Amino acid sequence: MSWLIWRLYRAQAAITALLLAAFAALLLVTGVQVAAQWHSALVTCTQTHTCGNLSSTLFLGSHAVGFLVIMTLGVPAILGMLCGAPLVAHEFETGTSQFAWTQSITRRRWLAVKAGWLLLAAAAVGAVVSGLVTWWSGPNNALQANAFSPGRFDIMGIAPVGYAVFAMALGITAGALVRRTLPAVGITLAGFIVVRFVIFSWLRPHFISAVTTYFPLNRAVTVAGSFWQLAAGYVGAGDRPISIPQSTTGTVLGTVGGGIPVSSLPAPCQALAGGGNTPLSPAVNDAVLSCAQAHHIRAYLTYQPAGRYWAFQGIETGIFVLLAAALIAVTFAVLSRRDA
Amino acid sequence: MTWLVWRLYRSQTAIAALLLAAFATALIVTGLQMASHWHSLLATCTNSSACGTVSLGSTVGHDLVVLSLAAPVILGFLWGAPLVAHELETGTVNFVWAQSISKARWLTVKAGWLLLAAAIWGGAIAALVTWWSGPRNAFYSNQFQPNYFDQQGIVPIGYAVFATALGIAAGTVCRRTLVAIAVTIGGFIGTRLLISQFLRDHYMAAVTAYYNPLSSYSPPGSAWVLSTGVVDRYGHVFSGGSAPEVNGVPITAIPASCMQASGIRGFTTYQPAYHYWPFQGIETGIYLALAAILLAVTFFVVRYRDA
Repeated sequence: MSWLIWRLYRAQAAITALLLAAFAALLLVTGVQVAAQWHSALVTCTQTHTCGNLSSTLFLGSHAVGFLVIMTLGVPAILGMLCGAPLVAHEFETGTSQFAWTQSITRRRWLAVKAGWLLLAAAAVGAVVSGLVTWWSGPNNALQANAFSPGRFDIMGIAPVGYAVFAMALGITAGALVRRTLPAVGITLAGFIVVRFVIFSWLRPHFISAVTTYFPLNRAVTVAGSFWQLAAGYVGAGDRPISIPQSTTGTVLGTVGGGIPVSSLPAPCQALAGGGNTPLSPAVNDAVLSCAQAHHIRAYLTYQPAGRYWAFQGIETGIFVLLAAALIAVTFAVLSRRDA
Repeated sequence: MTWLVWRLYRSQTAIAALLLAAFATALIVTGLQMASHWHSLLATCTNSSACGTVSLGSTVGHDLVVLSLAAPVILGFLWGAPLVAHELETGTVNFVWAQSISKARWLTVKAGWLLLAAAIWGGAIAALVTWWSGPRNAFYSNQFQPNYFDQQGIVPIGYAVFATALGIAAGTVCRRTLVAIAVTIGGFIGTRLLISQFLRDHYMAAVTAYYNPLSSYSPPGSAWVLSTGVVDRYGHVFSGGSAPEVNGVPITAIPASCMQASGIRGFTTYQPAYHYWPFQGIETGIYLALAAILLAVTFFVVRYRDA
């Protein structure tokens, strides 16, 4: 049976291997260049003591390769559409299922071997692409500290393996249910986009409850490492958020989102500032700051700490692998009840 | 023949119309919210530097708008690729090509309606996205930047027609739907990448502005900045981006008189904002021309192929 799978898929396997090899060659060549660029920039900025603003002045790699790396977001969907969706649907369409299902081998075993090898192949392709992208992005992650941000999190680590397995399972199930390849391809694409979208915008921020840290107004509002910022702003007494007008031309204090305008402070502090639009002198600025502190006004940052990166990767991958398992179970149930 | 095409594609048309309606609803709801937000901002500030870090538009709306970049290729592989390939695979060509209607006419009507539908679909999505992005374009002045340029105006029509033609041609040449789908996806991404990364910045000659290297310069309006840096009188560009060094001395430490004597100037090369619509026209023209070539290949292959 495994021999049959190999015969059926050898052309696809060869094409996939070729594409992966081309992608690997491109990323290896440009990745070495990026690493060299990063190291020489580090040496220069250490000498001139300008490493602090490196993230705003340095651009690593090329736009074209960076674009290609972002495009790897679509690799799982392509696997699901081109290999998963036809797995059962194409046999139905061409009628070969009538032959395949009347052999000595049972339908369950036929599906188990076929789906098993394809899911394994999807996991392998996802892992290779993700491994290359993770390695290539190393200097960028160190420079921008954004490995936890949406969009970056989704192309690195182990999450792409989960996506690839899920997309493949979705394609197989869609094909088994609708029995036609093209509708199954469309359903796979739409289903993959919707599930990914729902999980990353509504579920992922709540995998582990976020941390909120408070900062005095005269401190920079940031924490160490590649944290994932969920919200930031200002709170007054009793930790009630302060509503800040969307735009202001007056004097501002603090740094979060452009700062807190003096006009949003309690009246006594506004009086100290004089209410003018001119920049405050250092002495007045200090007085206004301590007045605001006396009124318990603080900046806050709600975030997922950098230390949770791998926990989040594990949870996200787990969710998608579980979804894939549920889909495969549905496929088995559908196929064992269906006539050829 | 037109009646036949309608019968073949009515369920696909219904699904496409439904998806478009859902997309339109999401964009109109979030777009109206953003427009009212923008109008309340206009009372006090007019651009991102005066308003501080205001963020315009909802995340959902923004994600949908980014996803619209993929709409043309979806048309290409779900409608275009099966057009001929599926008939060849199921053997229905044996019947179709044995009718009184000629092969060329069969292909003309089928491909013609499909390309028209693709242009309308691409145009509707582009119109919605362009309307939705109005406040953001005014606020961030970024509609000429890569990826924003690609979602708005008339270029999405060109992409949609090209992707559909690519799908039809791939299906005709490969004769198998799945292979044609793969070729369409790969070909579309490859072509878009090549043209947007390597060709687009050369459509028209760029403008270069020179200024005092210690000050900064931003071109008027929604210009597309191609490169910026510091150059000497011989045209030698100093490395280091916006904080360059001359022989190991940071540019900020060089006396102004010395800088003037050696002709060191800052430069910004950009495509000015008034090149936006010529660029949209050129890009659309390129994709329509590519689509025409692909269709010519399709007609040629179909004419000389046996059923």
